[in-house]
Amino acid sequence: MTRRAPAVRTSASDRVARLLAMVPWIAAQDGPTVDEVCQRFALSRRKLIEDLEVLMMVGVPPYTPDTLIDVVIEGDRVWLRFAEVFARPLHLTPEQGLALVAAGSASQGLPGGELHGPLATALGKLAGVLGVDPAEAVSVTLGESHPGMLDALRTAAAEGHRVRIDYYSYGRDERTTRTVDPHAVYAQGGAWYLRGYCHKARDLRQFRVERVVDVQVLDETFDREAATATAGDAGAGAEFVPGPDVPRVTLDLAPAAAWVVETYPVDEVSDLDDGWRRVRLAVTARPWLERLLVRLGRDARVVEADDPDLLTAGPRAARRILDRYRPD
Amino acid sequence: MSAAKLERLLNLTALLLETPRPLSAQEIRERLRAYPEDTDAFRRAFERDKEDLRAMGVPLTVQDVPGVIPVVEGYRIPKDRYYLRDPGLTPDELAALRLAASVVRLDGLSASEGLLKLGGLVGEPGGGLGLAVGSLPGSNVGPLFGAITAQVPVRFGYRGEERTVDPYRIEFQRGRWYLSGYDHARAAERVFRLDRFDGPARALPGPRFERPAVAAPGVQLAPWQLGEGEAVEARVLVDAAQAPWIMQHLGAGAVVEERGDGSVVVGMTVTNRENFRSFVLTFLDHAEVLAPDDLRDDVVAWLEAQVGAA
Repeated sequence: MTRRAPAVRTSASDRVARLLAMVPWIAAQDGPTVDEVCQRFALSRRKLIEDLEVLMMVGVPPYTPDTLIDVVIEGDRVWLRFAEVFARPLHLTPEQGLALVAAGSASQGLPGGELHGPLATALGKLAGVLGVDPAEAVSVTLGESHPGMLDALRTAAAEGHRVRIDYYSYGRDERTTRTVDPHAVYAQGGAWYLRGYCHKARDLRQFRVERVVDVQVLDETFDREAATATAGDAGAGAEFVPGPDVPRVTLDLAPAAAWVVETYPVDEVSDLDDGWRRVRLAVTARPWLERLLVRLGRDARVVEADDPDLLTAGPRAARRILDRYRPD
Repeated sequence: MSAAKLERLLNLTALLLETPRPLSAQEIRERLRAYPEDTDAFRRAFERDKEDLRAMGVPLTVQDVPGVIPVVEGYRIPKDRYYLRDPGLTPDELAALRLAASVVRLDGLSASEGLLKLGGLVGEPGGGLGLAVGSLPGSNVGPLFGAITAQVPVRFGYRGEERTVDPYRIEFQRGRWYLSGYDHARAAERVFRLDRFDGPARALPGPRFERPAVAAPGVQLAPWQLGEGEAVEARVLVDAAQAPWIMQHLGAGAVVEERGDGSVVVGMTVTNRENFRSFVLTFLDHAEVLAPDDLRDDVVAWLEAQVGAA
């Protein structure tokens, strides 16, 4: 699921916050260029000049010239004086501290993530400011995978090399070898995914990296730019929507099975008595439904199915597993 | 937003930072000379300004104005709580933080706000090919992190029960956020899933707790370890075709036996039986619980109930 970035707000507090961060930095420098200030604080030249004009009217009572912030713009450089009251930026809010620390922690866990480089020393210094060691307070793991696997796939995607993967398909419960043009590797919801053009399926596919059993990077290359442009590649995190030709089943779910509705795309949801719910689900592969049903046990009942064979999929799968436990 | 409002908020901040004692609303109005004449309009504008400052994280404190009877509320901003201590980041370090923040973005949390305070945006954001973007949801994550750094207990509803917890650590694993900390009522360390909180967590004012000298263990959380039952060592046999997958999932260290036909026996520490059963059943008839007997019997009973219900 992708969430759209929030609309750009320029509320009073955002603009104040930016100024309160910018003033101490400019004041501590000896006349940085306007361009540098704009770049560091992500401001257009016009906005910066507007803000500096406001700053000339800011100070402490009695607002005589020597108590107002002194703004000097000369040539292309800017100086601030009498800004001692804003000598330091406003402290980091917990959310701001967390955003940095969590990003840092997650990055260190990426292949090639450095444990001793500038990121590590930066996180160490932030620990002093936050009053807690980030390494002890936060840990972010984006997904499990063999480090080598992730590296190989990301490099292949970056360089436009075709790969051959030995893949365990969870939904179909089978292992296949496929040739894939890797478009991108990304993390979402705690797992790593490879998205690309699958030559076996002759279509775009997403693969969970943890189920790639083996990878072989081929010498053959593909034009990544052209491939992503023409293949209708919807981008990282594009939601999987089952097509209309995929058979559906109608399930009644107990309250304890509510997670199914949150986890899988469902066509319809209606409320029944006692907190039960009726949903229609697309079944792209039979083992997928079997797995769901044996896990849910009596918390799920199949009411209807486009393919009558699916009506009894749960008990039959349960019987098959039982046979393994009781071979006689 | 008008330049006048921006100017007023900055001057209000400066005034309350510089004042040696709390100032009443009336004093603020007289000194700033930036509010409307009309008393009601002033009240409304002043309330909005206070909200704006607090929303930014400005530590605006309310205390009685000393020596005034009857008592009048006064406002100030303590410098020691306002000023960010300088961590002294080098340009390299700032750039590394920016790169990390551009690669890993957290839903609803802005890293650039923090970067601006630490010295601005330096270096290049990561982008382009093959870079991972992790989207980490969680509305309670920020406030909990605040309580962890402030070392104050939090209270929250969890699956219908009120819990009071000294928060030690938050973790993001397998797509979910977890909090670990000391549960007061249970007098033991516990792990909580943030998506199971009944509502927002509230930080309690009262006394700071001591973090344990040894950091809270970096728990490798798995669904079958998220219970409060006694830990049991389980043995599960997994067929050859699924063996690579479970080894990636659990780590090669979990394998206790490799059989000639390529199948493997893995060891799992189980405290949550339901989640364990659910996990094993995802392998359908390609996996089998070997031990202990009661976990094996549990799976069999579960399946029998389902067959019988057909």
